[in-house]
Amino acid sequence: MSGEDQERVEDYLELEHFIEELQAGRAAHPPDGLTPSKARIYRMAALFRSASPDEATPRPEFAAELHAKLEQELQRSPKKRRLPFLSKKPQVRPRVSRRALLAGGAAAVAASLAAGAGLEHVIEHATTAGTPPPWNNRLLPMASIWHPVTTLAELGNDPLFFFVNSIAGFVIRNDGDGDAGTNAPVIAMSAACTDQSCILQWQKADQKYLCPCHGALFTEYGKVDKNTPPVYKTLPPLPRLDVKVVGDQVLVRVPALQTSKK
Amino acid sequence: MQEFQTFYQENLGRIYRYVYSKVGNREEAEDLTSQIFMKAVRGADTERGAQSMQKWLFQVARTTIADYWRAHYRIATNSLEELLDSGWEGPAEDGPLAMNGKPEDKVQSILQALPEHYREVLTCRFLLNLSVRDTAIHMNLTEANVKVLQFRALKSASKLEHIVTEAI
Repeated sequence: MSGEDQERVEDYLELEHFIEELQAGRAAHPPDGLTPSKARIYRMAALFRSASPDEATPRPEFAAELHAKLEQELQRSPKKRRLPFLSKKPQVRPRVSRRALLAGGAAAVAASLAAGAGLEHVIEHATTAGTPPPWNNRLLPMASIWHPVTTLAELGNDPLFFFVNSIAGFVIRNDGDGDAGTNAPVIAMSAACTDQSCILQWQKADQKYLCPCHGALFTEYGKVDKNTPPVYKTLPPLPRLDVKVVGDQVLVRVPALQTSKK
Repeated sequence: MQEFQTFYQENLGRIYRYVYSKVGNREEAEDLTSQIFMKAVRGADTERGAQSMQKWLFQVARTTIADYWRAHYRIATNSLEELLDSGWEGPAEDGPLAMNGKPEDKVQSILQALPEHYREVLTCRFLLNLSVRDTAIHMNLTEANVKVLQFRALKSASKLEHIVTEAI
């Protein structure tokens, strides 16, 4: 062995620091100027870390957020960026009927949800006269299932995020002081910002949802918050999702996935 | 869009696991996975079908990881020959199968090929997520011993990597 591979005490300490960072889930980089064989030790540490049982799958929040970003990217410049295999015929985009979108099932709902632009097509507008309450819009997928997202016992006072069959949403207990606009014990709503569909993040300290993209704020039940930046004052509220409580189970209506492939 | 949905669902986990096995932490695994999908979508060739789209995605993944390694694993020597002599291979040279193989399986076969005390220290630190302190208690060693042992265990594992992987 050449002298370059002699071990120094610092080697042990540096490696231990690297491993601790990995265990904490933080970005970790090896020290500069490693010999090739030492660099391989660090690669090995990264590989072994990936075999840790809790790390095998992407977080649902991450999956939902990236999906939304990609849909947005695909929509941005449809001519150039639309992946050809995604559409068999040339698309005549502008006016997609709600029916067509709904018939497309889960993917269509997801796509329009994520892209934001198409969202209004899947929202059922209430047609009551007079001043409409803020939550007159609901997401109504055509082929749907009731999916259990949590139990009443597990649902604390903060909203719970879920991502099921392309729908990212929150469920939250109704505190009953009237600002939820309903007496239902649990409210479910879309977690996609009504601006550009970024996935909202619950801010426990402020009891609000914050959009990580541009800072829009929504109240706990999905209304645009009074402290939202002025340009976002006119955003629609977060669409509500159908929710019901059966026994202790909290069930949310989500698109039924078409299982054409395996 | 249905097909994009399917394409995304089929490949997200695979790409994420691949990236994770190269960087070992969630923060960067998520960041690089996003970059890979964004690049793949932006650079999609209009003539591609779904299958070659997947190939393209994997290609993007490999080059993205190669760039990551270049940026963070600045190796002392610049000589390509020296690197090759010492068995250094960038992830860009991973075969097409590397994307499908499960990192856990690879880790398991490396573990099986190691002497017992190496296997034990790596199992404690990585599979059981124990701290140095707890590992020391578990193995009846000092903390300093654990740090030396895990270094040598990983070193030994890195020498086994190719032999073991070829055998699978």
